[in-house]
Amino acid sequence: MSISLPTYTRRETPLLGRRDRLRTIVSTGLRREFKRPAAIFTIGVGTAITTITAIFFVLFAPFLLQGQPLDLRFFYLPASNLAVLFFVTLMASVVGAGLIADDLDSMALTLYLSRPITPSDYLIAKAAILAALISMISVLPLFITPLLGLLLGLFPWDTALAAMGLAVVVGSVLTAWYTSIALFLSSLTRRKSYAAAGVFGVTFGLWIPAQVLAAPTALNSPDLLYLAPWEDFLAIARGAYGVAGGPIDWPVALAILVAITVLAGLATYLRMRAVEVVTG
Amino acid sequence: MRALVETSGLTKVFGEIRAVDDLSVAIPEGAIGLVGPNGAGKTTFLRLLLGLLRPTAGKARVLGHGIEDGVAVRERIGYMPEHDCLIPDMTGIGLVSYMGRVSGLDKDTAMGRAHDVLQFVGVEEERYRKVAEYSTGMKQKIKLAQAMVHDPQLYIFDEPTTGLDPRGRTEMLDLLRTISRSPGRNVILSSHLLPDVETICKYVTILDGGRQIASGDIATLLIGEDRIRVDVRGDRDAFVRQLAEAGHEAEAGPTGVRVARKPGVEADVFRAAKALGAEIRYLGVEIRSLEELFLELVERTAGGSK
Repeated sequence: MSISLPTYTRRETPLLGRRDRLRTIVSTGLRREFKRPAAIFTIGVGTAITTITAIFFVLFAPFLLQGQPLDLRFFYLPASNLAVLFFVTLMASVVGAGLIADDLDSMALTLYLSRPITPSDYLIAKAAILAALISMISVLPLFITPLLGLLLGLFPWDTALAAMGLAVVVGSVLTAWYTSIALFLSSLTRRKSYAAAGVFGVTFGLWIPAQVLAAPTALNSPDLLYLAPWEDFLAIARGAYGVAGGPIDWPVALAILVAITVLAGLATYLRMRAVEVVTG
Repeated sequence: MRALVETSGLTKVFGEIRAVDDLSVAIPEGAIGLVGPNGAGKTTFLRLLLGLLRPTAGKARVLGHGIEDGVAVRERIGYMPEHDCLIPDMTGIGLVSYMGRVSGLDKDTAMGRAHDVLQFVGVEEERYRKVAEYSTGMKQKIKLAQAMVHDPQLYIFDEPTTGLDPRGRTEMLDLLRTISRSPGRNVILSSHLLPDVETICKYVTILDGGRQIASGDIATLLIGEDRIRVDVRGDRDAFVRQLAEAGHEAEAGPTGVRVARKPGVEADVFRAAKALGAEIRYLGVEIRSLEELFLELVERTAGGSK
């Protein structure tokens, strides 16, 4: 044990603002995720596969879509890649499910909330960690595809730039939805495995039955596809890239995804305010 | 002396339970013990002070800041929770400096201070080990270090010696005493272990049923002004009976005979002793332990509420 209590001239050391405190939580959170094997695998493999697939689409675009002009509609192809769905879901499960659940389990939430930050600061920081990682799969490949197409001279610059902008918008909708849902589920339990299962359940538990039931051989009701977040995302992507057709309308799909994102975020906030952080 | 904590009609109601009930206190700067039985409202009171709960009614100020401004209050508070709350996959030094940065310190200052406080609490060699590998005593010290890292004006220690072996408890109490005696630092110690409070604090606030049942300087409170204590060598029961016959309220306790103070009691004590052939070893003010005072007050409150 040391001999004396450390003393400081604290009045001369002004504390940094809340934005810096949030930045600290985000950067430390990201560093911690990059040390976890499961997260490293998901980030590495997910980003690699979706990006390589996107590059493949660009390189083989003339062969893949023979006879179709290579315009903005081409970029619906990488957006509708099922690898994006799988790895975004996996990322939300592996990383997002534990972001709050782990703090509840270890009761580290007490440490955070006894610091000079608010529950909403905490949530924003956690959302930023997850959103940054999810967007590596939901935004990055969609962004790289037109960039590569532009660099290879396959697409005119205005088309490529528009596609890059749309990639950020469309990918952000998916990122926000998964971030919000994963954090909501994570806030409900101390066991991240439950939250992870919940993320997969919400994604595939809605998508597969909706597809089966909406099929002409079943109920023949395409409106059921609105229940599936992935189908909603595809509808939004079709609307954004100007692809005609599709079983559901993009404005309704967008409204549904945004509404659920906001509601889940609000519910998570209320849940965080209600969590007992000082016990005794 | 400036008040560390001032509350006025502070009330927090959960459903039908009044966890804190019309509490008006003015706690002075220094080391303050917060004691009370389970359900007395200590935890709710601490949560209110930390700005983590909104009061149902009333107001409170901590270090001059209203508790509605929770961020400003928490900037000045170092909180050491009772339960295990550390992030297991971080190292000791990583966690303490991280908490410093979340409190608003810049990176270099947070790291420098983390080393300082870990040295102070005695976790020097193990600072690069993961928290999950620490013993209970070391985890308690890390909890103390994270509360100290931003050099707060007010420390709130919630049951800091819980789960510690005698040696760990002594070490922890030594650390807390050092902090509480440092200029410019104030301590609120919430504990069920009344000897701990007696060791560290000069002032105590006793809560029961969400209300303050006693508050003041510990040394003053422990002196029972309404009774005297008599240590008698001989038949104590007969001595008590003799005093009762002389019209005095007397009871035999584990540490002597307590007699209600009234004019002429001293003479009657010696008369009773002479009659019984007993020897008076001590006659004077009754100095109780905090535990005795606490039990007496809680009993009195329970009796009053019946």
